[in-house]
Amino acid sequence: MKITVNGAEHELASPPLTSLLNALRDELNVTGPKVGCQGGNCGTCTVLVDGEPRRSCLLPLAMVDGAEVTTIEGLGTPKRMHPMQAAFHFYYGSQCGFCAPGMITASVALLERNPNPTRKQIQNALGGHICRCTGYVKIIDAVEAVARGESFDGAELTRSRGGEATPKGASA
Amino acid sequence: MKAIGARLPRYEGAGHVTGQTLFVDDIRLPQGNLWAKALRSPHHSARITSFDASKAASLPGVHAIITHADVPRNVFGHLAFLGVPADEPLLAVDEVRYLGQPIAAVAADSEEAAQAAVDAIEVEYEEREPLFDMRKAFDPDAPKAHHWGNWLPYFGGELENAGPDRRRIRKGDLEWAFEKADTIVKGVYRPAAIEHAPLETQVALAVPEPSGRMVVYSCTQAMHFSAGHVAAHLGVPLNGVKLVSSAVGGGFGGKVDSSSDTIAAVLALKTERPVKWRWTREEEFLCSGTRAAWHIEVADAVTKDGWILGRKTLTLHDAGAYLRHSSYATTKHTFHCAGAYTIPNVSFLAFAVFTNRVPSTAMRGFGVTSTSFLAEMQVNRIAKVLDLDPYEVRLKNANRIGDTMPNTVVLKDPSTVPVVQAIAEHAGIELAPEYKAMTWEPRTGAVLPEWLVEQQAKGGQD
Repeated sequence: MKITVNGAEHELASPPLTSLLNALRDELNVTGPKVGCQGGNCGTCTVLVDGEPRRSCLLPLAMVDGAEVTTIEGLGTPKRMHPMQAAFHFYYGSQCGFCAPGMITASVALLERNPNPTRKQIQNALGGHICRCTGYVKIIDAVEAVARGESFDGAELTRSRGGEATPKGASA
Repeated sequence: MKAIGARLPRYEGAGHVTGQTLFVDDIRLPQGNLWAKALRSPHHSARITSFDASKAASLPGVHAIITHADVPRNVFGHLAFLGVPADEPLLAVDEVRYLGQPIAAVAADSEEAAQAAVDAIEVEYEEREPLFDMRKAFDPDAPKAHHWGNWLPYFGGELENAGPDRRRIRKGDLEWAFEKADTIVKGVYRPAAIEHAPLETQVALAVPEPSGRMVVYSCTQAMHFSAGHVAAHLGVPLNGVKLVSSAVGGGFGGKVDSSSDTIAAVLALKTERPVKWRWTREEEFLCSGTRAAWHIEVADAVTKDGWILGRKTLTLHDAGAYLRHSSYATTKHTFHCAGAYTIPNVSFLAFAVFTNRVPSTAMRGFGVTSTSFLAEMQVNRIAKVLDLDPYEVRLKNANRIGDTMPNTVVLKDPSTVPVVQAIAEHAGIELAPEYKAMTWEPRTGAVLPEWLVEQQAKGGQD
C-alpha cells in the first residue's frame, strides 16, 4: 500500500486493516495526530485525506491506498506557520495542545469549502472535536480571524518574551 | 514590566499548533518499548478467591505478568510525606474495593498481545455488598468499605493514638448567634463527582537504565509527588528515579495522582525493558480519580436585615475506596465553609468517608469549589427568604481587611467587595449608594451593627 504523507510518498508494511492513525504514528513516526479515544469521538486524530477531514483512528489503510494525506505537521512549521496555525497561536486557541492537531486541520478544510463561514457554521464544522481546556470560544475566534484575512508574522509569534504581537490587516 | 498588559505569545504555543510538541505517547526510543495493560477489578467490592496467570504467561509476545508480590513496596500512601498512614496497594492483594482497581499488569510486545494476556488471566471473586452512599456509611449494618472503618479515623497525631476522626473548625459563640438570630436559613447541597476527562489519557513510559536508575517519562501534573511514589514502590531512594516532565495533554487535577507511572516502572524493573502504559478512553472514565462527591448540610443564623451571625455545617466528603489526598481536601474544605464572607460564629464539621467508588482526587479548587457553591447558594437563599437584594447581602457580609477567617488567618487583601461590585456593574445592577461606595477597609464605628458591637464586647474566639 502506498500513501503520500505531507508530500512524501511511503510504501507501507502495516496490514491493510491497520488504522491510518496507527500507521502514521507507529510506522511513519508522524505523531502530530493524537490518540484520544480510538473511537471516532474526540477528533484529535483528524487528518486531511485528499483535502477532506477524516478521523484517522477509524480509517483502515485499505481505504486510503494511493491517497494524499496531510497532517498538522504538513501544514506548517513553527517558523513558517499556516495562517490557521498562526491564528490558533495568536488567539490562544490551544492550551494543552492535545486537540489542536485535529481542530486546526478540520478548520483548514472548512475554509477550503466555505471561505466565509458564520460563527454557527464554524461551531458545526468543529462539533465533533472535543477541547477540554479552552471552552471553544478562542478556537472559533481564531478560525474567524483567518476567514477575515488576518495574517500573522510567524517569527514574532514564536518569540517567547517581550513585546506585543499584532495581527496584520486586523481591523481595529 | 514589559509583560503586564502586553499580549505575550504562549510559551509552548508554536509546538502545539504545529504538532511538534512531544507528549509522552509521542516519545519514540531507538530500542522500542513493550506495552502494558492491566487486569482490573470487574466488581465494586469483592474478595479474590483464586488467581492463575499461567495460561496468560505462555501466550506469544508476553514478557512479564506482575502481581502485588512483584512490587518491592506495594502499599504506599499519597500523603506519606506528611506522615499520613499508607492504605492503598499498588496492585490488589486479596480483595478489591472499587470497579477498575488494578490487580495485575502485563508487559508484552504490543497492546493487543498485552490485552490478550490480561483476558487470559483466570480470577475468581467472591462479591461483597458495596457501599456507594456516604450517608449510609455511618449505619451500624453498613457494608465495610475500608479496613480503617467507613470514615477516616485520623486527622493528625499517631494512628494508634488517633487524633480526631473529623475535621472541626469552631469560632465565636454559635449558641449565642442562633439565639440572637431572627431567622434560620437551612440548605442541603450535594455537588456530584466529576470526571476530568482530559483528551490525553493517563500515559507513562518507564525506561530502566543500566545503572539501575529508573527513568519515567510522565504526563503527571505533580512531578515531585510522582517521583516520590515511583521511588517508594520500587523501594529505592529518590535518586534512584528520574522523572522527565513532558507536555500534559489536559489534567485539571486528574493527573495529580500517580496513576500510570508507578505500574509502568515496576513492569520495566521486572522486564529490564522500556514499558509504555497508555490508558484507554474507557479506563480514563472508569478507573481514574474523580472530583469527590460531597454531601453538605448548612444552617445559618441570620438577622432580618441580612447579617449572617452564625453558620453550622456538616460535610461528608466521598474519598472513594482509598484515602489518597482526601484528608487534605476535607481539611481545606472545612477551612473555607464561610466562603468569601466574614461569619463571626461558626462550627464546621467534616468527615472523609470511604465508599466503594473510585478514589477521588484533585480537581480545580480541590475541596473549595464545594464551599464556594454552598456559600453562594446560601447567600441567594437568605436574600430570597428575607426579600433582600442578594448583592447587598453579599456586600454586607463581605470579608474586609483585618477580618479573621475561621481558620484564624487574618485577611490582608480580601477582594469580595470590589469583585461583587464589579459583577453588579457588569450585570447592569444598580446598587444602593452605601453599597456602591463600600470599600474593603475595616468596618468602623458608625456602620457597626448592634449585634457586632455586642459580639466584640464578648471577646474574640473561644
